[in-house]
Amino acid sequence: MTPLNYTLVITGAPWSSQAPQSALAFARELLAAGQRIDRVFLYGEGVLLASALATPPSDEVNWPKRWAGFLADNAIPATVCIASALRRGIIDDTEQARYELPGNNLLEPLGIAGLGEWVEGNVKSDRVIYFHGSN
Amino acid sequence: MSTLIIVDQPPYGNWAGREALDMVFSLAAFDQPAALLFTGAGVNWLRKQQAPDAIGQKSVEKNLSAAPMFGVEEILADAASCERFGLGPEQLVSGVTLAENLQDVMNAHSNVAFAG
Repeated sequence: MTPLNYTLVITGAPWSSQAPQSALAFARELLAAGQRIDRVFLYGEGVLLASALATPPSDEVNWPKRWAGFLADNAIPATVCIASALRRGIIDDTEQARYELPGNNLLEPLGIAGLGEWVEGNVKSDRVIYFHGSN
Repeated sequence: MSTLIIVDQPPYGNWAGREALDMVFSLAAFDQPAALLFTGAGVNWLRKQQAPDAIGQKSVEKNLSAAPMFGVEEILADAASCERFGLGPEQLVSGVTLAENLQDVMNAHSNVAFAG
């Protein structure tokens, strides 16, 4: 079977939706099945998965950290939508400087960029799969 | 290759619909064919003379009216949902096409995505 390329879009936030967990389970299965992931795109409430400051109690899973580990281990690019991120206080050092904010919190290895990266996935990936919250 | 973005959320209460609109505008800005379909409570996006100032929000009518300028090909409304929400043709903003068969609409696009 020829492997397919996937873009995964997560729009549900950790702790108010199951979207990050479902997406991670799906992503692991894709790789285990020899499929490829072009990019993970966080949009809407999903950008909260990119907060380096999320600190759940120690007996709970830290979903941002777990996702970041998966992305780093498998060298999968991940993008946070800039408009969604700025609205919700997910900030990298560039945006911190631009808006003169008191801090930044973008979790590595994620990057902030525009919807153009989602458009690219929409054009180039064989499949674009969405993980929504409970809106 | 065309993308249909489906909005099934009402216009105020969360940002999923607005962010879906941004997705459609981005596709159009990158010259990718894109269309919008409003269904369920989402058809309330298409109601004329919205006045959300009292709840501290901006009207989505203005956002939506920019769609043709961005090159969004079509704005569709699910006819059955319009009927359910009491939206007759005279209550709808201009430039909206009523769709009777959603399956046909979805089949006409290569990618279909729901807003949040």
